[in-house]
Amino acid sequence: MANTSLSHPAPPLSVEAAPAAPTRRDALLSLGARCSLPVIVLLAVGFVAPLIAIFAYSFAKPRTFEVFRSFTLVNYAEIFNVNNTVWLSFLWSLGFAFATCALLAVIAYPIAYGLNRVFGKWSSLVSILFVFPLFVSENVRLYGWVLFFIKNGVLDGTLKTLGFEGGPQVLYQPPMILAGMLYVYLPFMLFPMTLGLAMVPRDLIDAARDLGANRWQIWREVELPLAMPGILIGMLLTFVLGIGAVAEAKILGGQSVIVISHDIEIAFTYSQNWPLGSALAVVVTIFIGALTLAVFSRLDLDRLLGRR
Amino acid sequence: MEQEKARTRLFIWLWTAFVVVLLYLPIFCGALASVSKGRYFAFPVRAFTSEWWEKTVDSIEIGMIVHTSLLVAALVTVLSVVVAFFGALAFARYDWKGRRLFQKIVILPIFFPQPVLGLALLLWFSAAGIQTSWLTAVFAHLVWIVPVVTLVIAIQVYSFDPSLEEAAFDLGATRWQVMREVTLPILWPGIWSGALFAFLLSWGNFPLSLYTAGADSTVPKWLYSKMVAGYTPMVPALGTMSTLGAASALLLGGLVLWLLRRRAVA
Amino acid sequence: MTQEAAPKLPILQLVGVRKTFNDFVAVEKIDLDVIEGEFLTIVGPSGSGKTTLLRMLAGMDQPSEGNITLHGARINDVPPNKRPTCLVFQSLALFPHKSVGDNIEFPLKVRGVDAKARKARALELMRVVRLPESYYSKNVMKCSGGERQRVALARALAYDPEVLFFDEPLSAIDYKLKKVLEKELKDLHKETGKTFIYITHSLEEAMVMSDRIGVMRAGRLVQVGTPEQIYNHPVDRFVSEFVGEVNVIEVKKGEDGAPWRGVDVPGAFHVRPPEEDAGAEHAFVVIRPEYLRFLGAGDTAQNSLKGTVYNEYSLGSRIQYQVRVGEKVMLVELSRSKALPIAADRSVTVGWDAADAITVRA
Repeated sequence: MANTSLSHPAPPLSVEAAPAAPTRRDALLSLGARCSLPVIVLLAVGFVAPLIAIFAYSFAKPRTFEVFRSFTLVNYAEIFNVNNTVWLSFLWSLGFAFATCALLAVIAYPIAYGLNRVFGKWSSLVSILFVFPLFVSENVRLYGWVLFFIKNGVLDGTLKTLGFEGGPQVLYQPPMILAGMLYVYLPFMLFPMTLGLAMVPRDLIDAARDLGANRWQIWREVELPLAMPGILIGMLLTFVLGIGAVAEAKILGGQSVIVISHDIEIAFTYSQNWPLGSALAVVVTIFIGALTLAVFSRLDLDRLLGRR
Repeated sequence: MEQEKARTRLFIWLWTAFVVVLLYLPIFCGALASVSKGRYFAFPVRAFTSEWWEKTVDSIEIGMIVHTSLLVAALVTVLSVVVAFFGALAFARYDWKGRRLFQKIVILPIFFPQPVLGLALLLWFSAAGIQTSWLTAVFAHLVWIVPVVTLVIAIQVYSFDPSLEEAAFDLGATRWQVMREVTLPILWPGIWSGALFAFLLSWGNFPLSLYTAGADSTVPKWLYSKMVAGYTPMVPALGTMSTLGAASALLLGGLVLWLLRRRAVA
Repeated sequence: MTQEAAPKLPILQLVGVRKTFNDFVAVEKIDLDVIEGEFLTIVGPSGSGKTTLLRMLAGMDQPSEGNITLHGARINDVPPNKRPTCLVFQSLALFPHKSVGDNIEFPLKVRGVDAKARKARALELMRVVRLPESYYSKNVMKCSGGERQRVALARALAYDPEVLFFDEPLSAIDYKLKKVLEKELKDLHKETGKTFIYITHSLEEAMVMSDRIGVMRAGRLVQVGTPEQIYNHPVDRFVSEFVGEVNVIEVKKGEDGAPWRGVDVPGAFHVRPPEEDAGAEHAFVVIRPEYLRFLGAGDTAQNSLKGTVYNEYSLGSRIQYQVRVGEKVMLVELSRSKALPIAADRSVTVGWDAADAITVRA
């Protein structure tokens, strides 16, 4: 802008830019589809096909393997039978999933906020601390809690050494299952939420404050609505994973509660009733699929993942 | 105002520290149990021993299981990175007709409960007449891990300026040269993170291995079977080793990633 | 004695304001009085500290040293939501999840104004900034660049601030629309009577709108004055070059009253001593291209230089010639009607009078 008489650029070259070949754009279009092929094939064979198989099995005669050779609705009838305890399992799973999702939103929010606004140069380290447990098998981590809470375990032993009565017996109770789920699924809430909060431009917060909003108003009017896509994904993820959770109930819950995935597993293994297990899996799949698609139809993944 | 801000910051730091402590407490408990004498764990630990670690290292059975786990994880890493690399390009780089749908399809398996997915695959393998083994477990892991890795790489792809590729084409490079000279070097950090995720997620995966590995056992599967019945302190010992192994892999991978990023900046 | 208009009081005062980020000094000891109701523009190249200065005025950053007072009261630590000032961001910072109307109503909503009164005020402001009423419920992300500009302006006005700050809001707007919006902003300033503080890197923009201009360089406020003062009496070479394309000749005073001698061009010159420092021995002579002329046979000027024309550019109504004088390139601008059909590489003599040149200290 401020130009001096000392340094004038050489006279501009008068070379015409060659027009871009029109075919290149067309080629790119199909290139995208071609790149997607390996993933599509994998998911068709490894995800869609098994779901179809389950669907087919769910109409087979109970306790048989006569897939495609028999058609019956008995399996579904059994699930929807009021006397069947499957309903209870489903309710337990729903309840756990709902509580997990709601509590994790509250637990993870301050951390997600911190990762975006407070931790500064430490935030990568803090993120790694939260990612790492994902790579340790969940049953190893859950078993650690057993060692912590068990009789003569870390808590009990410490309290006894200090002269107290000894630790409370919280193992093998429903609240412990919930705690285990909170523990295992925290990263699944935290990271989408962090991504969501990162989408709120600093300028908008400054502008809201400049226009007279207090902290609560900034949060409610600007921060929360703009971070919502991320928060929504986090909630969906934890809810859905919570519905399918089984290790928590088995390791921390003893046999006090049977969750829906456990029921499915029992049908597949001990009772060797694949058609019933399939029918249960179909119900769960439809429930989860409908929920997921409903949420996804409202989200723009490009924006959330940072497309410019 | 300033004071209130400082208090909020303090609260956030303390809360995060508290959650991190809870996150690592059980891992620590496991480590403690693996070095305490006696068949059953009791706290405070009266005597320490390396007996269980030695036994674990010497065990032929565990050696085989670790071998299987490593093999599965390595295979999953290589395959998933290749597939997910192209998947990520389709996800984030190219504008094509089916992209939005493709994005949703890719995400769906991540949102699917793994125990149910594992059982569905088991049923599918049996319907297709395939004997389950560690090879089918590799396939099962891919179904879940490829979408995750696709997302991880896609995040890097999003920050990639497509005009760089166009410039390279314009300067006379072939498609392969563009890939080798421009696209790959810029996406390396994302690809490496994806590989790291693939390896570690496969290494630690339990629900899919449980149903799809057949008679073969992986580390998490073996641990689980011993937790349910037949506890020995070798369980926390192997668990701790597996954790330490994952931690060193993460550290090493992180170091490489850091070097890649530095090279990209330099 | 004639009755003089009461001098307007400073609304904002900066005394020794300094801002450092670790070791980096972003703003260095600025003293400035902002007069109530004026349109003050701070110009400077990017990185000169103007945005930091503005953020301190708006309350988003705190000065490391010095005081900012509003109506005489220190406001260093008053947060932005408690200041009667409002900033229009470079990014505009419009809330993407709110409609045009909801954006404008935001400051009223957080103040607890009821919905009906809010809407009435929003529509009123939309008229002021020339937005059609039908835009009230339009998605703000679907508005064009110019429309967004108006929404941001209306939203700031809804806050009813005493001072409005602008952080290069027109930087992303195309030239033609920019000219329109500049004039509208100037009109709005008159209509509202509020104090406007505007920052930009474009002096051209500043010249059009401002009552006063402050020029910043490397964290310092180099000169503050009316557009006329900045244009005709720049305090140093930096300011003079910032105003536009100029010819600069380095000169040194001859001994014992001998005339000034050129350092980077040969010859002796008639030079007015620098206004700031009449005793200076070393100075820069700044000549605007329109004050340089070609000297034909019989034409005279106080100063002259011989050179070769090697290029010409059309600037619309004027034509600019590049003349090589030794190692230096001098610019000469003539109006198109006076243009001479000069062949390239023709030898010429360019000349100017001392009164048409500005001398600034080195």
